[in-house]
Amino acid sequence: MNSNGKKKRIGVFVCHCGVNIAAMVDVKRVAEEMEKYPGVAFSTDYIYMCSDPGQQLILDKAIEEKLDAVIVACCSPTLHEITFQNAVKLAGLSAFQVEIANIREQVSWVHTDREEATLKAIRIVRSLVEKIRFNKNLEPIEVDVTRRAMVIGAGISGIQAALDIADQGYEVLLVEKEASIGGHMIQLSETFPTLDCSQCIMTPKMVEISRHPNIKLMTYHEVESISGFVGNFTVRIKKKPRYVDEVACTMCGDCEEVCPEVVPDEFNLGLSYRKAIYLPFPQAIPGTYTLDIDSCLGLWPIRCSACRDACEVNAIDFDQKEEIIEEKVGAITVCTGYDLYSMKSLGEFGGEKYEDVVDGLEFERILSASGPTGGKVCRPSDGKVPKSIVFIQCCGSRDPENHKSYCSRICCMYTAKHAMLYKHHVPDGQATVFYIDVRTGGKRFEEFYQRTVEEGEVLYLRGKVSKVYKEGDKIIVHGSDTLTGRKVEMEADMVVLAMAMEKKEGTEELLRKLNISADTDGWLAEAHPKLKPVESINAGFFLAGCAHGPKDIPDTVAQASAAAAKVGALFAKEKLQHDPAIVPVNEELCSGCEICVNVCPYDARELDSEKGIVIVNEVLCEGCGACAAACPSGAAQKRNQTDNQIFSMLSAILKI
Amino acid sequence: MVNKKTKLHYYPGCTLKEKTTNLDNTTYAVMDLLGYELIEPENWTCCGAEFPLTEEKIVGLAAPVRILRQVKLEGGNEVFTVCSFCFNVLKRANEAMVTDPLKHKRINAFLKDDIAIDRVTGEKTTDFPEYNGDVSVLHLLEFIRDEIGYEKIRSLLKRDLSKVKVVPYYGCRLLRPKGKIGIDEPDDPSIFEEFLENIGCEVIDFPFKQECCGSYLSLSMPDAASEASYNILRSAELNGADVVALSCPLCYYNLDRRQDRIKEKFPEFHEMPVFFFTQLLAWALGVDEEVLGLDQHFCDPRSAIGIDKSGVEI
Repeated sequence: MNSNGKKKRIGVFVCHCGVNIAAMVDVKRVAEEMEKYPGVAFSTDYIYMCSDPGQQLILDKAIEEKLDAVIVACCSPTLHEITFQNAVKLAGLSAFQVEIANIREQVSWVHTDREEATLKAIRIVRSLVEKIRFNKNLEPIEVDVTRRAMVIGAGISGIQAALDIADQGYEVLLVEKEASIGGHMIQLSETFPTLDCSQCIMTPKMVEISRHPNIKLMTYHEVESISGFVGNFTVRIKKKPRYVDEVACTMCGDCEEVCPEVVPDEFNLGLSYRKAIYLPFPQAIPGTYTLDIDSCLGLWPIRCSACRDACEVNAIDFDQKEEIIEEKVGAITVCTGYDLYSMKSLGEFGGEKYEDVVDGLEFERILSASGPTGGKVCRPSDGKVPKSIVFIQCCGSRDPENHKSYCSRICCMYTAKHAMLYKHHVPDGQATVFYIDVRTGGKRFEEFYQRTVEEGEVLYLRGKVSKVYKEGDKIIVHGSDTLTGRKVEMEADMVVLAMAMEKKEGTEELLRKLNISADTDGWLAEAHPKLKPVESINAGFFLAGCAHGPKDIPDTVAQASAAAAKVGALFAKEKLQHDPAIVPVNEELCSGCEICVNVCPYDARELDSEKGIVIVNEVLCEGCGACAAACPSGAAQKRNQTDNQIFSMLSAILKI
Repeated sequence: MVNKKTKLHYYPGCTLKEKTTNLDNTTYAVMDLLGYELIEPENWTCCGAEFPLTEEKIVGLAAPVRILRQVKLEGGNEVFTVCSFCFNVLKRANEAMVTDPLKHKRINAFLKDDIAIDRVTGEKTTDFPEYNGDVSVLHLLEFIRDEIGYEKIRSLLKRDLSKVKVVPYYGCRLLRPKGKIGIDEPDDPSIFEEFLENIGCEVIDFPFKQECCGSYLSLSMPDAASEASYNILRSAELNGADVVALSCPLCYYNLDRRQDRIKEKFPEFHEMPVFFFTQLLAWALGVDEEVLGLDQHFCDPRSAIGIDKSGVEI
């Protein structure tokens, strides 16, 4: 029924989508058949319904034919539903009086028999006529926005996203679980293809973070749990005790000197040692010492307290406790980064057995001026300058049978950089690279690679390495040169493995807390692989950097800025509009059995104990319909998709 | 009270009855001490050696499938081997019966009309039932780890092997193909090391434990085989080992019996004793020296396990 109580006049518009639909579906016949169908007042076809003239056709006919509702038979609603909703709004119709019959993805693209496909298309359009008869006009639900963002992870992606959001004038909580911000980028020596010193270009950004009035930096903090919805999240954040007062600490280093406990230094990937009370690296932000309680001799019962006794400003506080902080934010950007795939997984390369077989990140530290060797290229076992290094690319990448199926994207370039930097340090040294393909798809990347080969005289061998082992002082590498078809055996002083990138440890746990999804490799899933690359499927969550998949620094920064822009666009709205096609409760029918409460994935339903029935938080409800399917009494019915409508659709489809 | 022994199917393979009886005899000896009575499947034949593996011809699978079917007919649901080659062939044939319907159909059709003649009664059997790959094929190293348990082995040790510096040599057939066939991770295995540690040896790691010994190249390209074997033995020596332990008669042939040829080609080569893992286990469990068949070795292994020239245990 329309608003005047008369039967709805329904218009059907069948799109050819060029030949995408028309080649497999007789679109003219669909339009003709629909014209005869009860309730359909007008029916036609057109080559591109989404084009300007196509939309105009819908608008004109809606007015001319006094249509009450419109069905567009075309591609998936995820593509053009909004386009056509906007078109009918101009004719004074509600957006809820448009339905999309998907006859492309569900018909023309998947069938091979034109006759059968045409009949299926007709049935699908008919079913939507049945549905739309009962569609009601709904008003969007309006919600306030908390204009404050949280960024999780403070590597280069998190830092960039936080700065860009803060510069738009919004407050940002930057949460980092490590003692300092900086992530992996601050560990790098120089960056391809320009050979900028990584620390030199990164530390200004880190300092900016610490000084920015809109950024609240929360290092040594971890996200505990999240509730709420887009625009209105409540986050519980765990503050881990640092046992050092960040403000009072003057970084004099007296505590470090007296600390008796020595443990491998994570920042240098175990290539050097640190004390239990430590500064992660000289430019660490915040500039404060941190007491690593796992390696400390113990605060209780046998307190060593050497550091506390040495601290003149009394910054060391053994009584600090873990705290939970609650914050409200409107958007969350996840920038949790990556880990390198462990060398343990490739036993044949001996990365775990031989000190002089290192991964790419360890070699970065060896090359770095601030690294354990002070920028001198020395091998870890005996400190000798390696006269020959073999670099092995694709260690774990592009190996779907045994390891990761994907390409880690950065290894070709950083290996070229490693080889070049090695030649800068050791001009008479021999660098050899084993590769499968050299992939240099980035601005100035190919030129950089060519320079490495030509100027650096780096030997590139196309082939795989089968085995790496130590014999006396030397490392022996067995491999194959697949261009000449010959077996290769060579000696080296050091081997560098370009290990694959993989999801950061702990990602799954975080994703469970955030209730957002990842792909099969554990990388965060974007809402659309091409058109929504920085949005998560769940509203209010954005993603950037290597948490989303392997990428280099320029791409990471670009993605972080894009995510920040998306957060800004969200915050620019006066109010957020929530889809009103939710599942309310029919109070007369509800028995308060709570089955729907348990099936709801969004915690949108709860029992009102006074009334004895279930009530719905309209803003939390995403209209997934899980409750509607579970409700035994029919009290939960999704708006514009009631049981009545579903049954009418089914009989329209099944009717011959 | 006499402990009743557990019956267990054992497929020795031809080489064990001919050239390497020391592997067979020590297997019988240790399994007896561990409480097992071994049953060899009636009328067993050669497993086919490498032929079922090198070609896609289905008929090559007839021999191993027939052996497995015989185990099944005798009521067995598992069979173990000590020869790496037999293990590999039997297990791959078994896997083909499970995963390849065409092979399953054709081999079963072919073997249905097989005729078995009872040696004693002369009775003929034919019209055999189908074999579906449901006998599990195990290597003794797996069987010891998973079913006997290292704890039991340790409790039965009689001799001290702590002075035996040994490298485990897997060769190729124990580990590949990766996954369903190999008994361990091919690039980083540990089962042989665990076994040797548990019988009390000092285990030495060496990078050539999965390298090919030269296999049948010892017939067609003897020099290539010598080089492959030489590289293995040299690496074992460089890493400080005194003996090599292995489980494959062909590896044994290449690594031990052909040491004279290796020496011809590589004059700097030093001889090194090579043992079957069952010989070391037997020795550790207190089995007499005669059973070990040490006289079958090219490189005299006696001193390596503490027997002096006059045959006295030191």
